[in-house]
Amino acid sequence: MEHDMQAFAAEVRRFLDAHVAKAPDRTAVTWGEGDDSMAYFSSLAPEEEREQVQRAREWQRIRYENGFGWITGPPEYGGRGLTPVHELLYDAIESEYDVADTGTLSVIGLGMIGPTILAHAPQPLKDHWLPAMYRGDAIACQLFSEPGAGSDLASVTTRAVRDGEDWVLNGQKVWTSVAQHSQIGLALTRTNPDAPKHRGITAFLVPMDTPGVEVRPLRQMTGGADFNEVFLTDVRIPDDHRLGEVDGGWTVALTTLMNERATVGSQGAGPVAGALSADRLSALMRATWTWDDRALRGRLAELLVDVLATEHLNARALRKLQAGVAPGPEMSVSKLLYGQNLTKAAHFVSDVLGPRAIADTGQWGTYAWNELLLATPALRILGGTEEIMKNILAERVLGLPKEPVTTAAKEGRQ
Amino acid sequence: MTADESALDELRSAVRNFLEAKSPEEAVRKLMESEPRYDPAVWAQLAEQLRLPGLAIPEEYGGDGFGPVELGVVLEEMGRALLCAPYFATVVLAAQALLASGDTDACARHLPGIAAGATTATLAVAENSGSWDPALISARAVRDGEGAWKVTGRKSFVIDGTTADLVLVVARTVAGPTLFAVDGTAPGLTAESMETLDATRAMARLTLDAVPATLIGSDGAGGRIMAKVLDFASVALAAEQSGGARRCLETAAEYARTRHQFGRPIGSFQAVKHKCADMLVQVELAEAASREAARLAAEGSPDYPVAAGVAHVACSRAYMFTAMENIQVHGGIGFTWEHPAHLYFRRAKSSQLLFGGPAVYHERLLDRLGI
Ligand SMILES: Cc1cc2nc3c(=O)[nH]c(=O)nc-3n(C[C@H](O)[C@H](O)[C@H](O)COP(=O)(O)OP(=O)(O)OC[C@H]3O[C@@H](n4cnc5c(N)ncnc54)[C@H](O)[C@@H]3O)c2cc1C
Repeated sequence: MEHDMQAFAAEVRRFLDAHVAKAPDRTAVTWGEGDDSMAYFSSLAPEEEREQVQRAREWQRIRYENGFGWITGPPEYGGRGLTPVHELLYDAIESEYDVADTGTLSVIGLGMIGPTILAHAPQPLKDHWLPAMYRGDAIACQLFSEPGAGSDLASVTTRAVRDGEDWVLNGQKVWTSVAQHSQIGLALTRTNPDAPKHRGITAFLVPMDTPGVEVRPLRQMTGGADFNEVFLTDVRIPDDHRLGEVDGGWTVALTTLMNERATVGSQGAGPVAGALSADRLSALMRATWTWDDRALRGRLAELLVDVLATEHLNARALRKLQAGVAPGPEMSVSKLLYGQNLTKAAHFVSDVLGPRAIADTGQWGTYAWNELLLATPALRILGGTEEIMKNILAERVLGLPKEPVTTAAKEGRQ
Repeated sequence: MTADESALDELRSAVRNFLEAKSPEEAVRKLMESEPRYDPAVWAQLAEQLRLPGLAIPEEYGGDGFGPVELGVVLEEMGRALLCAPYFATVVLAAQALLASGDTDACARHLPGIAAGATTATLAVAENSGSWDPALISARAVRDGEGAWKVTGRKSFVIDGTTADLVLVVARTVAGPTLFAVDGTAPGLTAESMETLDATRAMARLTLDAVPATLIGSDGAGGRIMAKVLDFASVALAAEQSGGARRCLETAAEYARTRHQFGRPIGSFQAVKHKCADMLVQVELAEAASREAARLAAEGSPDYPVAAGVAHVACSRAYMFTAMENIQVHGGIGFTWEHPAHLYFRRAKSSQLLFGGPAVYHERLLDRLGI
């Protein structure tokens, strides 16, 4: 295993060296030099954003052609047939290189929807969409949340009604990330209003160019529009686009939710990697003459402890994976901590900046932090809110009892 | 030498079984109110049956030659069980000071006895302020007419200082802070027990009045030795703390599963559930920090000093947090003398402050990071 991993790592490096340059070290900073962006969500103009998506697709294609497009996928669909550890290792190595940001394709589509299609879709859908997605041609989105169904995802009300060989979908999805770039979406719909709510859901793969699918950008508090509302009006979907059983969509949804990409080893990329670096934070304190403020120094130390200890936690999880041991609660804990650490960092920096955080003085590396500050509330919500994550940790890891189901909740299921 | 995971698990369960038998709560409570605050018979068994004192002492000095990773496993278990024994003082502080001094004669003289469990020892650094800052040491050592060293001064917070057979003292000479060995029964040495917040860790005030002493390492090297020992001791303490924190979490979760109010287990109330989840997050973080630091120490990695600082902060915080929340989850019963929760609270607070406390360890970490 160990030897195999080393050979794989060497192969990854050969591939990357042949195609891209090494990334500049984001954690080391020379004050005033380079890009000072701290954007977590994209803050690009539509034209630039389309170009960025194009670059992401191109890089994905290169990966695919070289055997790194779908490391864990079965070879018959263009995958490499290796383990999740290989994938984590690949990610860790790739983060040292200056590659296009492929988040638009990978976080939801390749990370969550792809494995769900693989597990539940009929053969022709797999044959068509899986290679297309992993080659970078098709982008996928997750049409789960609705205005009335967020944490309580089993309350979806978008209806799907059978009509001959087709189904007709009507309803509204919301907060759908990357829908504006997507060719397909995985939708949860209600097919049986009379069954208990988890049992009346069916999942469909919806080609986004089907008549009746309308994507409207939803502006988020950062100012950009990474997510969308998606309206489904008399959308006709053939039955062969169904995943899993009729009324069996909850199982499909669980596959998607469980494939939420492990954060392990992949926290180092993007502009925000620098947000948690001791170098950058201390350079900022020097530049703002807050260097010897004792209270701020204490907070800096606590923040760095969180960041460094989280790295230790990830390193241990990775080592467990490499030894073939299933990871424990580290992964959920690590996701929770990632959001919390970035939030703490953003607020710490705001306090260091003082008034410079409320209006742009033009000084490098100061006001730019607002891009991160404004993104942090989302980190406590997306992919399962902090509260839901804590419920899961308490119930699944510590064995605490579930919440009793109230009469009202029972009635809600009728 | 570093054991693999399954060997570590074996070590852990051997130590846990031993401590469950020999250091149950009743034993801890009895010992914390007696003198000496440990049971010599248990100490002897711990040495003979499990060879724990010699675990991390090099083979050439009679030990088993393991390192900080294995020692960490043992200390996690001792922290869980609140074992009353001079293990931390002897094996962590004193033995490591001897090793850090590089004085092979002194090591050969003292370590075999420590490894065999025949000698208990301690390290006397802090004075009235409790600080480990070499600049604040005022005990002094001078040579008499025959060239023999005599130490004079006062030391406080000396762990297991009334019972140690061997006391290593940092005292000032013209060359600076220097490490000396003093016999526990030497003339001129008096040790009195200090009243302690955490009665499971005995501490003493020592008065040294021209006590005959042996120089350890080189004259003036005390500051360097202290820094090395402090890094090691922080990691060792962190293991003890993370073991204690894990125990607090387990106790709280167990109670939350079984205690009923309003006709349902309190753990089904989200306020309680989320408290337990927050404790879990802190415990996972603490364990990762302390075990990684031990691993880096064993590897002699350049990242070790930073990791030691991280472990000290993360584990101090996690232990204090879980000790407090454990009492909260228990409600009124958690505030009684009879319930063990306060023993962990006391240990958590006193460990957090042992080497100076938050303001000091924050600055130490920033210093290790070069900030
Ligand atoms: C940036 C971003 C991108 C997103 N992308 C997508 C996407 O691509 N596809 C998609 O389907 N969805 C997406 N979402 C939606 C996201 O999954 C939901 O917002 C999230 O699951 C919470 O649901 P909600 O917003 O309806 O809040 P609610 O569920 O209404 O929650 C409101 C508050 O109540 C709390 N709460 C709810 N239930 C409980 C409970 N049982 N116990 C304790 N507290 C509870 C929550 O924690 C929260 O604080 C995205 C969201 C964001 C912010």
